Amino acid sequence: MAVSMQEGIRVLVADDDPDIRELVEFKLAQAGYAVTAVPDGAAAWAAFESDPPALAVLDVMMPGLSGFDVLRKIRESDSPRVPVLMLSAKSRDSDVDTGFAIGAADYVIKPFSPRELLHRVNTMLARTR
Amino acid sequence: MIAGSLLLAATDGVGLGCGALAALACLTRVGRRRRLTRRRRLLAPHRADLIAVSAGEDSEGASLRALATAPRRAQAALAENVTGMLGKVRGLPAEQLVDLLREHDALDRARADLGHRSRVRRARATQLLGLSRDSSAVEALLPALDDRSPEVRASAAYALGLIGDPRAAGPLLRATGSPGGGLPAGLAAEALLGMGVGISDALGQGLRDPDPRARTVAAHLCGAGSFTRPRPILRELLAGDPDLTVRETCAVALGRIGRTEDAEALARHTEAEHPLPLRRVCAAALGELADPTAAPTLAALLHDPDPRLAELAAAALVRFGPAGRHALDAADHRGPVRSALTLARLQGALP
Repeated sequence: MAVSMQEGIRVLVADDDPDIRELVEFKLAQAGYAVTAVPDGAAAWAAFESDPPALAVLDVMMPGLSGFDVLRKIRESDSPRVPVLMLSAKSRDSDVDTGFAIGAADYVIKPFSPRELLHRVNTMLARTR
Repeated sequence: MIAGSLLLAATDGVGLGCGALAALACLTRVGRRRRLTRRRRLLAPHRADLIAVSAGEDSEGASLRALATAPRRAQAALAENVTGMLGKVRGLPAEQLVDLLREHDALDRARADLGHRSRVRRARATQLLGLSRDSSAVEALLPALDDRSPEVRASAAYALGLIGDPRAAGPLLRATGSPGGGLPAGLAAEALLGMGVGISDALGQGLRDPDPRARTVAAHLCGAGSFTRPRPILRELLAGDPDLTVRETCAVALGRIGRTEDAEALARHTEAEHPLPLRRVCAAALGELADPTAAPTLAALLHDPDPRLAELAAAALVRFGPAGRHALDAADHRGPVRSALTLARLQGALP
């Protein structure tokens, strides 16, 4: 688990692809977020449970618990309102529908623009503050 | 005695064979692990710069310069990682990564690899050229649509779809019907859909292709992309194409395009003299158009001996609004009409 602490607004990033995990972590950390990056759904849920972040960025297809599974658990947890952004290569309308139906605040399809991702994270956090 | 010796020899042979296979598997695994470790070692000094460029956090260009001057021995491993990254990011970072590949001559090598005897090398080359989204690679990629390997053909179609240059539309359509096995229709359609309005002329030509697969894909795309210009050809093929799938696809396309001027042609093909699958598709397509002049045709179909056709006609009439409801109210509310109305209520189309 890689943790970088900057301004204190905590963002959880879960993706089993090290390229994406590292670049999202780097992008958000450069913007001043404190990022916790994990490689699978189980680790994402463990990190969320131990200390709920201000926002979570979840991949959908991960070994063990999928991003959708983690999202469902978050919505049933003691911190159900934490905004969750799904970041996935699953681009069918039905996938996006599923994401929003189970409570995603946003859905970004890979390949994605890191710049756009940052804007979306900023906007979501600004709305919740 | 001899049989016993033979059995012993055979057992030894099998044992030796198993041992050799196990050793080969071990060697392969060790070799793969060593290659991976070597690749990681070569990449390690450049990984931070690659992540910075990919994340769009290299405003001064220092990371890109550092990657461009990476030692030659690291460039192959770097190119592999950059290619992987190109499938994950878009925008300026992707453009910078392509520039890096160009600087390392990876794109030129990929063009040369299109003629390599290994299909893996050819498929990788098409993938890289596609991910580069460089229009100048289109000409080089087109022959790969007729490659002897289906994987390379599929990869070339995907690559041309990523580049999105309409010049590839005609060859992609023709490739679906080529004699060497062709390109799967779904792959061609997906690649073509991303090319936008520029493929209109190619679709018109595709509808005239001698192969029914190419005509089907072209007709499907006319509907999926709402291309109105080839409508006269769609009507012509609906009426007289020798292939039933082409005729059905033309009917679906005319419904999706949604021009009421096509209602008459669709209504004509719901008549009993036409094949039943075509009549059903035309009835459903009339529902898409929702042109009131077609209501009497659909009302007559409510009494058709084929219950599925009657049900499709009822479902189509539901979409007509008051004119369709009037025809449905006047019909016998049993069997197909009742099931269509129940379904419409469940879907929220009716109160």
